[in-house]
Amino acid sequence: MIPRFEPVIIGFLCNWCSYTGADLAGVARMQYPPNLRPIRVMCTGMVHPGLVMEAFDQGTDGVLILGCHPGECHYLEGNKKALARAGVIFRVLEDKGINPERFEIQWISSAEASVFAELVTRFTQKIQKLGPYSPLPRQAYDTGIKTYDRL
Amino acid sequence: MTVRIAGEALNACSGCEISFLDMGERCITLMETLQIVHLPLLMDSKHSGITGRDHSFDIPEADIGLVSGSIKTDDHFHLARAMRKACSTVVALGTCAGHGGIPAMANAYDNQEIEQCFLSTISTDQGSLFPSAHVPALMDTCRAVDEIIRVDHYLPGCPPHPDHIFGLLTALAKGQDYDLPAKSVCSNCPALRNGKGEVVRLLRPLDLPAKASPGTGESRNGLLCFIEQGFLCMGPVTIDGCGGNSSLARCIEAGVPCRGCFGPLPYPGDQRLAMLNALVSNGIDMDSLPETRSLLRFSGGHGRLTPPFGKKDTRTDGS
Repeated sequence: MIPRFEPVIIGFLCNWCSYTGADLAGVARMQYPPNLRPIRVMCTGMVHPGLVMEAFDQGTDGVLILGCHPGECHYLEGNKKALARAGVIFRVLEDKGINPERFEIQWISSAEASVFAELVTRFTQKIQKLGPYSPLPRQAYDTGIKTYDRL
Repeated sequence: MTVRIAGEALNACSGCEISFLDMGERCITLMETLQIVHLPLLMDSKHSGITGRDHSFDIPEADIGLVSGSIKTDDHFHLARAMRKACSTVVALGTCAGHGGIPAMANAYDNQEIEQCFLSTISTDQGSLFPSAHVPALMDTCRAVDEIIRVDHYLPGCPPHPDHIFGLLTALAKGQDYDLPAKSVCSNCPALRNGKGEVVRLLRPLDLPAKASPGTGESRNGLLCFIEQGFLCMGPVTIDGCGGNSSLARCIEAGVPCRGCFGPLPYPGDQRLAMLNALVSNGIDMDSLPETRSLLRFSGGHGRLTPPFGKKDTRTDGS
């Protein structure tokens, strides 16, 4: 039997809504796939697109950014900023040859534990369908230097 | 004891070597301690590989190797390796060697497209073919030098400022280290900044004359931040230092926005990503840019610039 592909998904969860929502899902013992690796951030507005690209560079298969609903940001406009930055991420992913479907931004309030569980399930299934993310294969050259020899 | 210098230009325009000459009288000072043993673009020294006699590059042993240009053909590849073997210290001279530079814009296309473009211009004779003999084969991507060989020192710039070339060579001759600033152009910009600005859409470079007067003498004080005015300025995402030791960034000094030739800052190391992020975080509509790939016009190496997703290309993410 071929083992099922278990993707690695990085989630940037905002401290005030989504992380609390995820916490509630845990307390309520809701079932959802264990593929999500949540990272708690104070606000999704602070997630630099470079962090998302770095996650892909290091071999994650999908990235989620989960924040408060529009208008409910603890810092008033952080999630607006996150949405604007998500536009950059979509654009750069596409230009870098990565399927933009591998990235999503969604809003989860602190009471929406079931929505969170559903979302993680759906996203994990989607990434499983897309398959593992492999960076662009590049022609290999014997450079004559060992990897640790490089700067 | 004289320090021996060897130099080679790979996928380059020879601008870096011209900048070497632009040191002027300081060249004479340098030559007291340095000796150029191999620099085909400036001296009458050739390697036998270039004459087609064989495929080896007989580069004489040297202490400092100046490698300019990026790597796109097999020839460049072997030449870079020969330089690494011959030189105890390798300097990546210029943005092409350090980050890919202008030639790395080819990374947005695959080799087939490049060959097609090369063959199907109006002035090209019908039925011409891409040469297969006497021309080195193309590599799949255009790479920065440190993707192929180990590089000890980087000297970015298009071209690097003579001050920095002089500073680096004198420091290396004395066995010292030489560090360039790792701050953005904005950190040293004289322009007035009044806040985030009210701009929603970017202007094209010729849409409006900048409100600032040309930056000479005292009128430089009247310079307003270009981004606040709505002009695309790569200052926030570009390393400072293009003005040399004393003066300001060259383009800013001339009253035009920064083009980003000194390459990216250490984090996130991607000029396009950082620039778009800076724009949208300040409420400027990203779609007012006709395209974004040219923001990587100086740093397309290291796999940063690739053919877009969904294009019929085997190199893109298979999903």
